[in-house]
Amino acid sequence: MTVSRIFSAVVGCAAAGLFLGILTGPAASMADDERAAPERVVSMNLCADELLLRLADPDQIVSVTYLGQNPDQSTVADKAARYPANHGLAEEILRLSPDLVVAGRYTTRTTVDFLRRVGEPVLELEVPTTLPEVEAQIRMLGDRLGQSERAEAMVAEIAGAFVGPATPDDDAPTAVVFAPNGFTVGAGSLVDTVIEAAGLRNLGAEQDLGRYRRLSLEQLARLKPDVLILNAEETSPALAYEVLHHPILDRLPKAPLVVSLSPRLWTCAGPALVDALALLRQAAETIETHRRAGQ
Amino acid sequence: MRRAEVSYPWLLALLGGLALVLFALSLAIGYAPLDLPAAGADALGGRETIGALVLVELRLPRALLGLLVGFTLGLSGAVMQGFLRNPLAEPGVVGVSGGAALGAVVVFYSGLAATSSLLLPLGGIVAALLVGGLLFAVAGRGMSTTTLILAGVAINSLAGALISLTLNLAPNPYAAMEIMFWLMGSLADRSFSHVWVAIAPMIVGWMLLLSTSRALDALSLGEETARTLGIGMRRVRAAVVGGVALSVGAATAVTGVIGFVGLVVPHLLRPFVAHRPGRLLFASGLGGASLTLAADIAVRLIPSRPELQLGVVTAIIGAPFLFSLVWRYRRLER
Amino acid sequence: MRIEARDITVRLNGTTILDRVGFAAGPGELVGLIGPNGAGKSTLLSVLARLRVPDAGSVLYDAVAADNVDARKLAQWLAFLTQSGRVEWPLTVERVVALGRLPYSSGFGASDAARDEAAISRAMRAAEIEQFAGRSIETLSGGERTRVLLARALAVEADMLLADEPTAALDPYHQLEVMELLARTVRDGAGVVVVLHDLSLAARFCDRLVLLTRGRVVAEGRPDQVLTEERIAEIYGVSSVLGAHEGQPFVVPWRRLPKGSTAGGAE
Repeated sequence: MTVSRIFSAVVGCAAAGLFLGILTGPAASMADDERAAPERVVSMNLCADELLLRLADPDQIVSVTYLGQNPDQSTVADKAARYPANHGLAEEILRLSPDLVVAGRYTTRTTVDFLRRVGEPVLELEVPTTLPEVEAQIRMLGDRLGQSERAEAMVAEIAGAFVGPATPDDDAPTAVVFAPNGFTVGAGSLVDTVIEAAGLRNLGAEQDLGRYRRLSLEQLARLKPDVLILNAEETSPALAYEVLHHPILDRLPKAPLVVSLSPRLWTCAGPALVDALALLRQAAETIETHRRAGQ
Repeated sequence: MRRAEVSYPWLLALLGGLALVLFALSLAIGYAPLDLPAAGADALGGRETIGALVLVELRLPRALLGLLVGFTLGLSGAVMQGFLRNPLAEPGVVGVSGGAALGAVVVFYSGLAATSSLLLPLGGIVAALLVGGLLFAVAGRGMSTTTLILAGVAINSLAGALISLTLNLAPNPYAAMEIMFWLMGSLADRSFSHVWVAIAPMIVGWMLLLSTSRALDALSLGEETARTLGIGMRRVRAAVVGGVALSVGAATAVTGVIGFVGLVVPHLLRPFVAHRPGRLLFASGLGGASLTLAADIAVRLIPSRPELQLGVVTAIIGAPFLFSLVWRYRRLER
Repeated sequence: MRIEARDITVRLNGTTILDRVGFAAGPGELVGLIGPNGAGKSTLLSVLARLRVPDAGSVLYDAVAADNVDARKLAQWLAFLTQSGRVEWPLTVERVVALGRLPYSSGFGASDAARDEAAISRAMRAAEIEQFAGRSIETLSGGERTRVLLARALAVEADMLLADEPTAALDPYHQLEVMELLARTVRDGAGVVVVLHDLSLAARFCDRLVLLTRGRVVAEGRPDQVLTEERIAEIYGVSSVLGAHEGQPFVVPWRRLPKGSTAGGAE
């Protein structure tokens, strides 16, 4: 038992070493030269697509994800359509012989681990939850791509849009996000940041909803939000959406203002956040106007 | 027999009372405290309070579906067992429910259900009819317990695989979770729209199934004797297949597969009706409603969020039960 | 009610089971259907009970063509006792017997309860099974079970009772018991057609015998006319001892005859 385990470990190491020897040579030397702008960039993540396609020169990019080409999920589908798509599979990536792979922190983990093992230069994007983190990430990627000016311009655009009162007070209009399968969004997320920046109080952040952040329709009925943010892009039938069409939503007390907000606007930490913010600010203003008229 | 005759109305009253109590409990239990009498008064008074809203729009359809679907499953199980003269027959075990779920899945994910909500139960009914027809075609040539179980395993595996395939082909990011719904059933977040599309076929199905009561009694002496007692087998077979397809097909289309209710309930109640197949029907329906409501109360009380699928609870109760039956009949068949 | 069958032909997978068979029976007589295995006795019985539609020929009930007789009416006229005698659920004896009253109840119960009760207790008394009325059928012995199923058929109070080998698998005591019961039923006015393998029982209890072989009627008449030594040898392929005791005939099959020595031996 022990002997065989040691044996297999030895064989495994030897095989891995051989493998590395074959594949790492050119990639390792390229990684040494960090300051040179990459010329063959591959994105393995939808959010990476969104930033890359906006920051990089078109001929710096060799491939984006298939998700980035889907207009239902991506804000850069038209630009993405010009490149061959990948599905985050190691073989696809290696064949493209990239000099930079941009991946997400939490997606396609096995492929990322493999690419690192064989010495491919991988840049992982974190999932930012605050505005400063969003800005820092854009700058970081811009620097890596040799496109610092574009990154600064994008940061300025986003920062400019988010200028305003920091945290909404207790009287602020309330909002709750209702997503497929009855999920909502709590504190400590980018979406929460956007909602607050729009001058709305996120009721999902105040509820004790456990780890899964699932809001039952009963709880939703009791929250009495001013704004109900239906966060879904219903492109094909799914049971997950049925809860968003439950008849009780048409009969909620105080009849909340319903805002349909496509998840693609705020799933990724990019300039689309500005559009999401604008939609929510508009909703907040509508509520405030109603309140003033009511008084 | 005389004693059984007297106690039969009592048995029905008892089971009916149990179902009503569980129905009321199902209304009282939810995800937020609710003052049930006040909410009821508001609802009846037409006042749109939150309590009334939660009661009428959320808890009432859920409890009603539990009652209707449970009655369907208990009744169908009792009828199939009586007709096939096999205590292991049940819509879930033999694959009728799985087939119905597949039919509903195809209609739902192809987008047909969006054109008319009535197409959803229709998909379930047509598929249940096909599976039922197939099953009885095999049963016509004499069906042992082994054959029945094997046919069920084959149909269930195929239906499960095709459900997964359909869902994976559909451009749906929630496929994995929704496969669970179709295979394991749930009453969560169902609304009156689900009740309305399914209730008519379910009730028509019940009528057909209940009409077989005399025939099932006669069939306890075998098919030949039943025929010489004036039972028209073709009509009975049509009533059984049609009734099961209509009621189980429609039920499964709105709640997914809820297994084992139709297996456990008739078996538990049989001694209380002196093993008379005809008398078992209504009692089994009421018992099925009680079991389903109780299981649905359990999934809300078990602290797991999102809540457990209803079929998980009924399978935890029912699968060991099925195993014990298989064990017993394995010994008998030797 | 009289049953009459004319020129009945039944084929199964190219084999002729019955070949232009004629048969008639009515109330007040005990008719025995005898013949070797595969002669077509059970098939003829199921044709008479309208369980099987013949490929040719016709069955008449009181001179009315079978197709024109209502199913419920026929179920009241004619009771049928199958060979298998299975009861699928552990019903009580009284419930099993009560199933004989089904032809009189409509879809949802409404029937003449008092009349049913009377018929059920008459049938149980006749079959002498009153003492197990409340017991589960599963707890009974084979002989007791046969009597219960016979009582079930008697509870129909039909004009005609068709019974397929009711004495099979019974010991001599219970064989006699069943035959005496059938004879009593005939004395009470009904007609009985019974398939039998035991030639002594057939000879002793039946008023008339119909001898079938290979789907044809080869002899019909009083037992002593039908059961001759030569005919038994020819049809069954056995030698036999014929005699009489207390004025009633008996037949004891004695020795198999060598194959080919007779025209139609048992298969």
